Amino acid sequence: MSHFSPTAAVNYFFNYFLMKGVLVTIGLTVAAVIGGLILGMGIALLRMSSNPALSGAARIYIWFFRGTPLLIQLVVIYSGLPQLGIKFSVITCALVGLILNEAAYLAEIVRSGFMAVSAGQREAAWALSLSPWTTFRRVTLPQAFQLMIPPLGNSINSLLKATSLASVISVEELMRRSDMLMQEHFQILEVYAAATAYYLILTSVWDAVQRRLEKHFGRSSAAKSRRAGARVPVAQTSVEASA
Amino acid sequence: MSEISMNTATNGGIEGVNAQPQLREVPAVRMEAVYKHYGDFTALNEVDLKVAKGEKIVVCGPSGSGKSTLIRCINHIEKHDEGLIYVNGIELDHQRKNIDAVRRDTGMVFQSFNLFPHMTVLENCTLAPMTANGMTKAEAKDLAMHFLAKVRIPEQADKFPGQLSGGQQQRVAIARALCMRPKIMLFDEPTSALDPEMVKEVLETMKKLAEDGMTMLCVTHEMGFAREVADRIVFMNDGKVVEQAAPEAFFKQPKSERARTFLDQIIH
Repeated sequence: MSHFSPTAAVNYFFNYFLMKGVLVTIGLTVAAVIGGLILGMGIALLRMSSNPALSGAARIYIWFFRGTPLLIQLVVIYSGLPQLGIKFSVITCALVGLILNEAAYLAEIVRSGFMAVSAGQREAAWALSLSPWTTFRRVTLPQAFQLMIPPLGNSINSLLKATSLASVISVEELMRRSDMLMQEHFQILEVYAAATAYYLILTSVWDAVQRRLEKHFGRSSAAKSRRAGARVPVAQTSVEASA
Repeated sequence: MSEISMNTATNGGIEGVNAQPQLREVPAVRMEAVYKHYGDFTALNEVDLKVAKGEKIVVCGPSGSGKSTLIRCINHIEKHDEGLIYVNGIELDHQRKNIDAVRRDTGMVFQSFNLFPHMTVLENCTLAPMTANGMTKAEAKDLAMHFLAKVRIPEQADKFPGQLSGGQQQRVAIARALCMRPKIMLFDEPTSALDPEMVKEVLETMKKLAEDGMTMLCVTHEMGFAREVADRIVFMNDGKVVEQAAPEAFFKQPKSERARTFLDQIIH
């Protein structure tokens, strides 16, 4: 047994059973990103609220879900909550856990994106009599989004790999199905080589997508570095305002 | 000019009710005992100011004297804490409706330009006319090109702000404000963030605007501009309007000691 069989590894890579696991991994990631972004936006809005109760609640949420391992969160949802009579299907448990956890990280990314848009942008929008909705949709959001893409990309990369934790609560995604193949055939290196290849392909595809996004949304800021004649008026308005 | 006199005529009746008898037309800006505090700091300390239609005011004074706060209160980018502010007869009483009306009448140019970096020059200029004034894209584009031509920069319409020089960006910012057809233009140190060789092109644009009869309030340290364009200089110190005078008188013989030392320091 002291050898590695490349043929077996390739066979596992094209194993239909494993491929279906890959689809589950992709599905979990996409659903958790979408759900996490929606929930995370809401939490970010609460966090930025001037109402101390709302921002406090958001802060506690973020503190809790970022401060505990995703693994514990998944296990508690899957096997702890039934004790209280709350029971979901396996896949729902995984989604709930991943979304709740991801939202905490995305909320901070969304918030920092909005905070980084200079106050002058909002002031200019007010001075032009833009409505609050237009100001948000056309001025603040696009600029915040551009700033969010790099950290968002990192977070999604982590999430993609974190879906493997769902294997612990028996979601048959890529990791779980690799375990199952491994236990059946006991070709440990060969099976995990195939799984590793899939994870690398997925993260590389996402990297490429992220680069495209950065390029697309960064088209105006690429020119920014060539700016001439402005003495980088960073935050001068706020200094002046408080003067 | 005809637009200005027309407005006077239509607003005259309304203003007649609470205006002082000798006042024939609604002032563009009227501030009475305005206060603004930042914590313990008093940025505006009982400021009274009246600006007639078509008048060009230069606000000057040492750093931290409240000049920027003063003009930022006029379009409610800063909320004043006490006192009355009327803009074209509309009271700025923190009501949304009135704030909107005042902001429609005023355009503002900032020290740091504040152009929207993710939009082209043209999009910067057409956004507000299209979304706030309901213009069609074609109408807004015509309007934007008209004002971009006026600030002599129409060929840059499809560039992003980051591709322009500081002086060009500030001229775009002026055009963008003009696209909302304001009756009053507020300038908050429009040339302070510019390299010296770009100051002139922006001041020239502002002069042209002044010649067209625009009501203007400019916070600026450009004393040459003040001398040439201003009808009145408003000198501020410690949140107070210390002195108001025609440029001639102000530069030759400032009444207050504070203005004298200020002028000594900035005129080399």
